[in-house]
Amino acid sequence: MNYNLNKFTGKEQKTSNYSAFKNLLQLISHEKRNLAVALIAILLNSTLNLLGPFLIGHTIDKYVQHKQYHGVLVFAGILLGMYLVALFTSFFQTKLMGGVGQRTLFTLRNAVFSKIQQLPVAFFNQNKAGDLISRVNNDTDKLNQFFSQSLMQFIGNIATMVGAGIFLLLINYKIGIAALAPAVLILIFTRVLSPWVKRKNAANLKTVGGMSAEIQESLSNFKVIIAFNRRDYFRKRFDEANVKNYNSAIGAGLANNVFLPFYGMCGSIAQLLVLTGGIYLITQGQFSIGLLVSYLAYATYFYNPLRQLATLWANFQVAMAGWDRISEILALESDLVTIAAPNTVIAPALLEFRDVHFGYPEGREILHNISLTLEQSKTYALVGPTGGGKTTTASLIARLYDPTKGTILLNGKDIRAYDAAERSQKIGFILQEPFLFTGTVKENILYGNELYKDYSHEQLAAVIKEANLEKLLAIFENGLETGVVSGGDSVSLGQKQLIAFMRAVLRKPDILILDEATANIDTITEQLLGEILEKLPAKTTRVIIAHRLNTIENADEIFFVNSGEVTRAGSLQNAMEKLLHGVRMS
Amino acid sequence: MKKEVGIKKKEPGIFNLLGPYMGMVTLLILLALFSNGLNLWLPKIIGNGIDAYSHGTFQLTPILIKFTAAVVAVLLFTYLQNIIQVYVSEKVARNLRTKISDKISGQSYDWIEKANPSRLLTNLTADVDSIKLFVSMAVVSLASSIFIIFGASILLITINWKLALAVIASLPIIGITFFLVLRKVRALFIKSREIMDWLNKVINESILGAALIRVINSQQLEYAKFLDANTRAMNFGLSIIRLFAGLIPVITFTANMAGLTILVLGGHFVINGSMSLGDFAAFNSYLSLLIFPILVLGFMSNIIAQATASYQRISAVINMPDAIASGDITTPIRGDIDFKDVTVNYGQKPVLKSVSFSVKAGAKIAVIGPTAAGKTQLLYLLTGLIKPTTGTVSIDGHAVEAYNSEAFHSQVGFVFQDSIMFNMSIRENIAFNDTVTDASLEKAMATAELKDFVTALPEQLDTIVSERGTSLSGGQKQRIMLARALAINPEILLLDDFTARVDSNTERKILANVQENYPGITLLSVTQKIASVEHYDQIILLMQGEVIASGTHAELMHSSPEYNQIFNSQQSTSNYELQS
Repeated sequence: MNYNLNKFTGKEQKTSNYSAFKNLLQLISHEKRNLAVALIAILLNSTLNLLGPFLIGHTIDKYVQHKQYHGVLVFAGILLGMYLVALFTSFFQTKLMGGVGQRTLFTLRNAVFSKIQQLPVAFFNQNKAGDLISRVNNDTDKLNQFFSQSLMQFIGNIATMVGAGIFLLLINYKIGIAALAPAVLILIFTRVLSPWVKRKNAANLKTVGGMSAEIQESLSNFKVIIAFNRRDYFRKRFDEANVKNYNSAIGAGLANNVFLPFYGMCGSIAQLLVLTGGIYLITQGQFSIGLLVSYLAYATYFYNPLRQLATLWANFQVAMAGWDRISEILALESDLVTIAAPNTVIAPALLEFRDVHFGYPEGREILHNISLTLEQSKTYALVGPTGGGKTTTASLIARLYDPTKGTILLNGKDIRAYDAAERSQKIGFILQEPFLFTGTVKENILYGNELYKDYSHEQLAAVIKEANLEKLLAIFENGLETGVVSGGDSVSLGQKQLIAFMRAVLRKPDILILDEATANIDTITEQLLGEILEKLPAKTTRVIIAHRLNTIENADEIFFVNSGEVTRAGSLQNAMEKLLHGVRMS
Repeated sequence: MKKEVGIKKKEPGIFNLLGPYMGMVTLLILLALFSNGLNLWLPKIIGNGIDAYSHGTFQLTPILIKFTAAVVAVLLFTYLQNIIQVYVSEKVARNLRTKISDKISGQSYDWIEKANPSRLLTNLTADVDSIKLFVSMAVVSLASSIFIIFGASILLITINWKLALAVIASLPIIGITFFLVLRKVRALFIKSREIMDWLNKVINESILGAALIRVINSQQLEYAKFLDANTRAMNFGLSIIRLFAGLIPVITFTANMAGLTILVLGGHFVINGSMSLGDFAAFNSYLSLLIFPILVLGFMSNIIAQATASYQRISAVINMPDAIASGDITTPIRGDIDFKDVTVNYGQKPVLKSVSFSVKAGAKIAVIGPTAAGKTQLLYLLTGLIKPTTGTVSIDGHAVEAYNSEAFHSQVGFVFQDSIMFNMSIRENIAFNDTVTDASLEKAMATAELKDFVTALPEQLDTIVSERGTSLSGGQKQRIMLARALAINPEILLLDDFTARVDSNTERKILANVQENYPGITLLSVTQKIASVEHYDQIILLMQGEVIASGTHAELMHSSPEYNQIFNSQQSTSNYELQS
């Protein structure tokens, strides 16, 4: 399956704003109640804002012109009351919609992150960490900005506009039509340009992801950059990404600004239309100056929010572009699904490969037609030249990938029929590149360990002693409490391998795979590890990938892995022969 | 005006940022003021029209001409203003990013280790973005809002100063509210950015550790960590919202009260005849002009607060002192290495304790010792990645720091223990230093026994290595890293546990190739395997940061019990040459 997010053909982009927005709303359907209350607050607020100038116009016409100061005071009192109510509606409007925005951001980030967690290793091989971070953080934040700042104004403005439009038509439909005519121009203009604006923003978000990937890579490889005197490399690569981002951002910026001036102009034209039309009607005796004054105010009330809508609409396009990038992740499905359990055969072997083929998507086949069986309690070694397929074979046992053809049986049952929890509990895999989380040694060796997670210090000490791991911990300055930084050099590679080793051993797997897991550990400590492996529970099957002989000389069986073929090497001596006279294929 | 002063006082830094772009910003503000001035003129035209009509002197054509001219001018100016605005803001953002990346690229390894890459990532992306937003939206809005408030106030004063003063009196209230709320908000923004750093870190580790997480099936655990960070981010967001939910209504209310004052006082003036109805109408429409910019200030305050918080974080990076400038020795290195009483502390913990030894140019030296003995740090000292806490590391009699770094790094090749691959072609990964010629690339590849492997690839040297090198096996990566170090034709070659992932057969071939192709090279090799270094000129045994013994293989076999122990631990295997 293709998991490369940046290789999508853009079919996502073609979905209309409307359907994309609908999908988005589904994701926040639990906010319905808040949205409804907020809507009421917004409508109330807009109504109050609209009534203001109407009442002022009315007061001028009725009382100021006729010099009735008492009436002025009465209406001033009414207005004061309205403004006080508006104080609260405005507060609730901001608070509720802002809350919806924040919670939407929260929900979206969670959705993206948990989707990423469901995806298989292949997904991570095909996408850059920086780009993914950018999608989880930056793109979701674009949606947040829309929800927390724009949506509220969006609804408020539309409500004000609709209200003002109705007032305009009700007071005098002739002038009303004249006042609203320029809005039609706006509608056409917007419809025509919106897809272009969204495209520009999508392009920009993509370069943001690219830049983030660049930073991520350079920062994590900084020591090579220093040691090879390529500080300019970081600058150059970053500059390139920076300039790319600059160019696309200018494109997006210009696109986003295309609406506002035009909207402004239409608003002014409407004012002029109202003035001329109004004066004409006054000469006809169908209109009054007081009405004209408030009419002009309503026209402003119609076009001012429309001007804001120009900016908001651009924000909306940005948000939709971000949503598309997020949807690309959300639409991915793991191809490593758990299948229904097929008929189980009586297990002759713990693990069996039946005619297994494997290749990465768009790559050459790496493993060809492999059949092998592993039995309980035995120790197996996989030897062979680098690039021969040892790690790939091990990855298939741990189901990091599925074979492209053939089946793998665990206890006679298709490995795909085990759920992830059960499988990972049975199969332990010490990866070639040890990975640590920032935290302490203790947190790292107990990482994901359901059994011991709640153990007290004393209980844990007992467990460690029982598993013979005590001596290994002595290498760490503060023992279990030694702090480690992910990706950092605070502990050595050998120490990282020790942590990975302890982590796997404490999980008590049925099959323990060691993929060059002790390569950077000194030979004395390695002997210790050998003893620990010996003392694992009797039922444990070990699969060891190594080229140091002492780690494999006790193997019950040796498999020779070369150019995608796995053959039994027979005795150790036999394996030696093969290795010595075999041609390295890589 | 009070609020203007209030805002400026709080963040002098962020306005200083605009210094180099003053020309553009001035043009921008001028354009904005111009179109805003014209916008102010529009209601005047309308108002005059109404007045003219009530005096019976109404003429449509001049009004039409004036109005149309103004509208077209406004349209042009705003487009022009928007275009400049986009360019300026993007330029500010781009230059700021370049500034940060220049600063980062000049820093020491130590600094990068401590600086938390997740935070630098937020600095370069989210933080710069909020400053961009500030430049693109806030600067002009601020200038034109203040201008409109000023202009409208003056116009109000010319119409009726008593009424005007009553309205203007409301402005300080707005200013003070801003001041109080923004002060709180800024602190929250800074904290919420820190949470973003944390969130980034969690995402980052969950991506880099993806394989492990899937092996252990600990997705739930990662999700829980993420949920924790994300919840905190949300709570900060909500507290910020609460503050703004309080701020905006107060401002609107104050502005509305000003309108009410006009109605009551102005109505009073009109009724007692001290003010004309037309003036009153104009007063009302200017007031609506006054209210909008005040609201804009309310929204902008959010952006300003965010940008200030971000700028504070970015300044912390930009104002970091530069890493100590490199020395100026550019003479060719012979390869005499001398460690004199070198101690290195990581925090409180010593990783190397008064290490002394010296190596003659052209010699082959091995460093052997248990895990976490400080072997890697020894090599880091020789590449200048870390500096000794006390003591000196010198090459040819000069301290490492005294060398010009460019000249130095082009003569010292380092093969790191952990595989570090860049998402580029194999060619670019090997010829990582840009002075590498095709000939030296060829030689390096031949020496690292890479030729067969590379020619077997469909795209050969142009094959792109995926990020983190997931498409290559451990041994392949190791050999590419060796070729990378050899391609610069180094005088000194430092190998950090190179043999760990390369089989003895290949290893022996490679080392023979090195001797043949790079005669006279000084070789310092950290290793676990005694068999491959038995014939070396000197073997240094390092344990817990201290040199326990040093000498030739024979000498050490004779004198050092620890060495014997290591030797014995490898006996069962040393007879075999196992290819892997």
